[in-house]
Amino acid sequence: MELFGRIRLAFILISAVLVLNGIFLAMIWVPPHETMGDVQRIFYFHVASAWIAYVAFIVTFATSIVYMKTKDLKWDNWAVASAEIGVVFTTLAILTGPMWARAIWGEFWRWEDLKLLMTLVLWLVFIAYLALRANVQSRRSKATLAAVFSVIGMLCIPLSFAANRIWIQSHPTVIASDQGEIVTAGMVPALIVAVFAMTFLYIALLLLRVGAAKLQDRADELKLKVGD
Amino acid sequence: MGAVGAIFQKELRVEFRNKQTIVTYLLLAFLILTSFRFAFSSFDKTPTAIAAPVLWIPIFFAGMFSMTPIYKREVDESTKEGLLLAPIPHSAVYVGKLLASLLVVFGLELFTLMLFFVFFPFDLPDMAALMTVLVLGTLGFVALGSIISAISSQLSQAGVMLMVLTIPVLLFTVVLSAVSATSEIFGGAGLADVGNEVRFLAVFALVFIATGYLLMDFILEA
Repeated sequence: MELFGRIRLAFILISAVLVLNGIFLAMIWVPPHETMGDVQRIFYFHVASAWIAYVAFIVTFATSIVYMKTKDLKWDNWAVASAEIGVVFTTLAILTGPMWARAIWGEFWRWEDLKLLMTLVLWLVFIAYLALRANVQSRRSKATLAAVFSVIGMLCIPLSFAANRIWIQSHPTVIASDQGEIVTAGMVPALIVAVFAMTFLYIALLLLRVGAAKLQDRADELKLKVGD
Repeated sequence: MGAVGAIFQKELRVEFRNKQTIVTYLLLAFLILTSFRFAFSSFDKTPTAIAAPVLWIPIFFAGMFSMTPIYKREVDESTKEGLLLAPIPHSAVYVGKLLASLLVVFGLELFTLMLFFVFFPFDLPDMAALMTVLVLGTLGFVALGSIISAISSQLSQAGVMLMVLTIPVLLFTVVLSAVSATSEIFGGAGLADVGNEVRFLAVFALVFIATGYLLMDFILEA
């Protein structure tokens, strides 16, 4: 327990330093983009958030599978912690994307872009997952039903990808995209720091949330002992 | 196989014994179609482009309503324990209920399709192609819907939760493929022209029938 607390503190401190550093690099250090100007600065936060969205989803899926195998509730705590943080980061990615797109493409959303559609699917599945958990009473049923739904959600991702590929082939992109190179050499250090900052932030939040879930389980156990 | 048949018969008997539930799904499909007819009444001639969504939306929504009670009623009537204690595999329960649900939804579709052609004077498309897309789309939709129905039967607000959990999975898979294939069929395409969508719908149906078959143990014992 002592070790868990120390590791958590280390991750919180490292992520604080990295996030501040990342903001400095993205907002001040990197020169404005040659064609896109200052709007492009949102890109660092967008890419890093989208990356965490995918990582969080995979972690939720993997820990759900382990829960279904072992029936140990601690794995369910990891799954829900990762899903909750995943919703936040997917929301960030979905909000920052259109801000950039409105300035560069002239529209908020492109229905023919696979990456956008897949992130939307991911977001909807995550939200449905949390809505499911909010509507179950018993702790065990909550964990099992949520794990089953995360398997369905994971199946939905490649299937949505395949269906959209078919659809996009018959509805080709109308607006030509010619905004030049998105990532130039000068941007790489800021991008790397941003991705690492978000990754450490994700791990720090995950550890905090799992700690809270553990305490919740402990409190429920004690309540049961006292007789509620 | 006998177990599947028994569950199938029991489901249909329960469904048709209480006729008001079946009438409610039909009424819902009818009302959604009427709303569309009303909403598009300003057009002199209804554009063919709206045919596919107008046909599929009542089917999806009335279909989801019809699937809400298939596991919920076992919980409400306290027959779930009996079903779990019966010496049959849980996957047989899933398959039996899936078949009964398919029959109900196919009936619902025939009803919707008839009204659809009465309400909207579209030219008759290639009916073989339309039926293939309808049947395969429904297979996937009902296979997924009955898994989610088993999950949502154990949740508070089962009816709303069925839709909240089904739509994200369905939206960019079955809805997208079925609607785009149906659009093309109404635009004059044949079965060969929508081969990709048809193959996709078949794969989707297979994946979720297999998923339900494999995961039903976990869901029913949760």
